[in-house]
Amino acid sequence: MDWEGQKRSEIFMLISLVVFGVVAFGVGYAIGSFQIMMLIYGSGVVLTALITVPNWPFFNRHPLKWLDPSEADRHPKPQVNTAAPKKKASKQK
Amino acid sequence: MHSFVYRLNTLVTFAAVILAVLCGAASFLDAFNSPSVRAHAEVIKFNRFRKQLSGNDEVSLTLNISMDLRSLFTWNTKQVFVFLAAEYETSKNSLNQISLWDYIIPDKDHAKFQAQVANKYPLIDQGSNLRGKKVEFVLHWHVMPWTGRMIEGKMAVSNFYLPEAYT
Repeated sequence: MDWEGQKRSEIFMLISLVVFGVVAFGVGYAIGSFQIMMLIYGSGVVLTALITVPNWPFFNRHPLKWLDPSEADRHPKPQVNTAAPKKKASKQK
Repeated sequence: MHSFVYRLNTLVTFAAVILAVLCGAASFLDAFNSPSVRAHAEVIKFNRFRKQLSGNDEVSLTLNISMDLRSLFTWNTKQVFVFLAAEYETSKNSLNQISLWDYIIPDKDHAKFQAQVANKYPLIDQGSNLRGKKVEFVLHWHVMPWTGRMIEGKMAVSNFYLPEAYT
């Protein structure tokens, strides 16, 4: 998933779970059946999981643009100065 | 939200939190239920009233019990456990409570009934104090929910006197 897809997936997951929770409670309370509430919520959780957790292609619509290899060659990586001054354990002052 | 397992973990955790909120809300709403229970119990006859070899009195009765517990059931009720207790006072104990009969009511449809039964559990005293004793019947109920707090209640039903002599 790309960054945009991750954001969409997370927002969808949060909203979907909360909505299923509220709907499950409302329907269960109105009907008077605890089983129905659990059933609606459980299937809501499974549905949300199927939509948001796997790496679906519709979450990859904004792919990252990596730098072109030919462009990268024109800008070489800066060299890190490895010759750092060594610390001497000096016994004499 | 970087990997499959990460998203799965987030989903499971958040779903569990919401589940806890739902169960808490369901249990919380139970407190607003104001039930009205009707019940009656009386002794039809004393089958046996004797003194055991251990020195304790023992009574066996036939009871006529009728009750209407339908108002106790909410959507969050799994079952109602109801038992009939005989309460009396002796010089040794200020309150003796003995369960004579109990029953599990699985749903609202079974909550109103009438039964003529012998007591399931014998009424055995600690000692020999029961002759001529005044005994009160109290119906206790425990409302067991699907989730949350169990609610108890009771109602005094009737009084009776035990016979003066052993039968």
